Amino acid sequence: MEAGVKRINETDPNANGLGGNQGQRQRNRIRVAAYVGRFCQLTFQTDGGEMKRSKLLVAFFAFALILAACSDDGGGDTTVAGGGEGGGTLQAVLDRGELNCGVNETLPGFGEVAEDGSYSGFDIEFCRVVAAGVLGDANAVKYVPLTAEQRFTALQAGEIDVLIRNTTWTATRDGQEGVNFLYTTFYDGQGMMVPASTGFTTLEDLDGANICVLSGTTTELNLTAVFNARGIAFNPVVFEDNNQLRPAYEEEQCEGWTSDASQLGSWKFTIESEGGADQTIMSEIFSKEPLGPAVADGDTEWAQVVNWSVMATVQAWEFGLNSGNIGSYSGTDPNILNFIGTDNFDPKLGLPSDFAVQIVEQVGNYPEIYNQFAELAPLDGSVNDLWSNGGLMYVPPYR
Amino acid sequence: MTTAAPPVNQLTPLEWVRKNLFKNWWSGVLTILLIPLILVLGYRAFLFFFVNGQWEAVQRNLTLFMIGTFDREMEWRIYSQILLFVLAFGIGLGTNSAAVQDRAEDAGLPYERSSVLATVGRMWSLVVFLGILLWFASTDDVGGLLNPFLLIGAAVAVLLVGFQAFRFPRRLRSAGWLLTATFLVLGFQVVSGFDVGGWLPLGLTYGIAAYMVAPVGRFEAGWLRIVMRLVAAVAVVAVIRTIYALVDSPGIGWDEWSGLHLTLMVSAIAIVLAFPLGLLLALGRRSTLPAVRIMSTMYIEVIRGVPLITLLFMGQFILGFMLPAGTDLSAVSRAIAAMTLFTAAYVAEIVRGGLQALPRGQTEAGQALGLAPPTIMNRIVLPQALRAVIPAMVGQFISLFKDSSLLFIISIVEFLRVRSLVHTQPDFRAVSIAETLVFVAIGYWAFAFAMSRESQRLERRLRVTR
Repeated sequence: MEAGVKRINETDPNANGLGGNQGQRQRNRIRVAAYVGRFCQLTFQTDGGEMKRSKLLVAFFAFALILAACSDDGGGDTTVAGGGEGGGTLQAVLDRGELNCGVNETLPGFGEVAEDGSYSGFDIEFCRVVAAGVLGDANAVKYVPLTAEQRFTALQAGEIDVLIRNTTWTATRDGQEGVNFLYTTFYDGQGMMVPASTGFTTLEDLDGANICVLSGTTTELNLTAVFNARGIAFNPVVFEDNNQLRPAYEEEQCEGWTSDASQLGSWKFTIESEGGADQTIMSEIFSKEPLGPAVADGDTEWAQVVNWSVMATVQAWEFGLNSGNIGSYSGTDPNILNFIGTDNFDPKLGLPSDFAVQIVEQVGNYPEIYNQFAELAPLDGSVNDLWSNGGLMYVPPYR
Repeated sequence: MTTAAPPVNQLTPLEWVRKNLFKNWWSGVLTILLIPLILVLGYRAFLFFFVNGQWEAVQRNLTLFMIGTFDREMEWRIYSQILLFVLAFGIGLGTNSAAVQDRAEDAGLPYERSSVLATVGRMWSLVVFLGILLWFASTDDVGGLLNPFLLIGAAVAVLLVGFQAFRFPRRLRSAGWLLTATFLVLGFQVVSGFDVGGWLPLGLTYGIAAYMVAPVGRFEAGWLRIVMRLVAAVAVVAVIRTIYALVDSPGIGWDEWSGLHLTLMVSAIAIVLAFPLGLLLALGRRSTLPAVRIMSTMYIEVIRGVPLITLLFMGQFILGFMLPAGTDLSAVSRAIAAMTLFTAAYVAEIVRGGLQALPRGQTEAGQALGLAPPTIMNRIVLPQALRAVIPAMVGQFISLFKDSSLLFIISIVEFLRVRSLVHTQPDFRAVSIAETLVFVAIGYWAFAFAMSRESQRLERRLRVTR
């Protein structure tokens, strides 16, 4: 039985579905209602097919009313995204109880995902540092994988609270991308790796050589700029990603591999630990790549909180505090007592007084974090060593 | 109505070879050239799969490929989801099978009920993929043997139990469908959480059901019936909403899903949303109301003129600034929105093709009978038009499923991107690249092929090809 036929017969038994003024008007009315109802009905057409249009419409509006009535309390807790409009990120993170941290999950040594789905890496550890400092729980982090193009947009749109994704601090980014770069956690720079058997030690040795490099990166531009400036002839061999570059390099399609020194370090580690040829990374670094956390412009409170959380790892190092001894410190150094918050000292940063203890106990001080990643270059004597050892790690005094 | 079966030609193997491989001289030459080529390729493939391939990267990361960075302590949610979906599938299968039987009986046609086995056999590609997974899982030494086999055993049992829905008496057929929908929703929510806002799908489903079946026979006046139906519907909705409010246990939202799980769910959600939207657009484009027609046409032409990847990027980069501040739309939600909007435009054009292929006489016949336009559309035009475009539509959905790998580029860890994670791990940096790629390809193929087979069956059942 067709619903439409039934309806016409029911409402106008005289019309027989044809002719008659009343029948005509009736049909016109049905037609108008039908045009409105058509879209509703299409979605709700059921197997039974017995529902009539008018009733369906009524039902539809009723449900719409119920929805409207329920919607005011039905939303549950809304997670307010931080950043962007200035102010409030700290409160938003505290309310949410979780830090949204923008990361790179495919960068050896800095961001990786293990077989069990857990994140690890140098950058990941600093997400945990911020979470431990702000929330007192290093595991209260939601990692948001981002591509290089997405990262600043995500920060501005408030999808992430902090970006710790091997991002180089440059003037353009600081000026144009609306981000605020904080304490540099890793001083990187472009380097050159060659097989140890070549005996090359300077860029000049590579005159006329093939150099493997990823296409479209700053690395490629730097390579050209530096080699041209020094008049060294070279032939770039470009690849889309490291999975293609590595086999080519090991098959000696190129004599040198240029990338950020930290990346070369992890590839050297990988190649040598898998039984490949010994590699040398030249001591010469020909670009500056300071990597560190970044937050959205315009929220100084949040920037301070992140900055001091990150710097606490270096400060603890300087004080000789590590995850093992910071909780049981019994000395009398007033600076340390301030730092671990037992002295009622509050610099009004917006951090809990024991934030440093939480950070160092749950994550570690700077060398503890650094040395987890054997593939990074040795810390001692490197540019990332403490200022008192000749490195660049220097933080303002905590007093 | 009986049809004589066509005569079957029984060929001896020798005759078969002569007829198919050496019919004439060029066919003979081709055979002689191709057989060694196929043998060589087959041998190389065999070597790759069973001898030379370093499958450790896949084997050790099997869970990572399946569920990515999903919280391992919440794995039970995924297991429950699989079982509930299988249950829903079984009930749906049983109910559908019974419904087809009902129709055949009504029409006096002979009918043989399809078995579960036949359905599973149709989806043999999925069985192959499952076999590969089990093979990898069983060579894993950390208790990997027990869990997958237990899960599959439970799934088979649940499937068979669900299929018993075909025993429901005829008047409970709709109940079968209602159960299917219920378990689909519950299966989804066992992962995404039974929080307060999650009552909507079940509330709507049961509300509409209550509205339809409310016992209102003893009320004379039409308006009173409607009121009583509404009361029933509201009561049911209120009960469901209260249950959700009482349970209120949050789960894991889709922005924290990844791996094959995310790929499948995102594709399914986008397909489910794109189909009705595309249908509306197709009807809108043929509407006699100029505003509706022009808007639909503009939408379709604009979206079809833009590559999906552009839409995905726009979703990531522009949508965040266009939405009101505080709208916390995750990257995955925006990707689903982009994929839905994109596919809907194509679905609309496919449906429009079907509508245009239908002779005008069909509509006119309906009008001559005095049927209302929606009835003509629902009962005459759409069934024929949609039936005609099933192959194209499923093709579009398969393409959507595979296009979900584009989420790779916006850093959403779907099935393909898990490879990048694997090849960042210290043990697998730039090694076993071909193996992981082949594994992922087989995974995509298994599901795409199953979809394709299912569409072929639909075509046959609905007699698209006459």
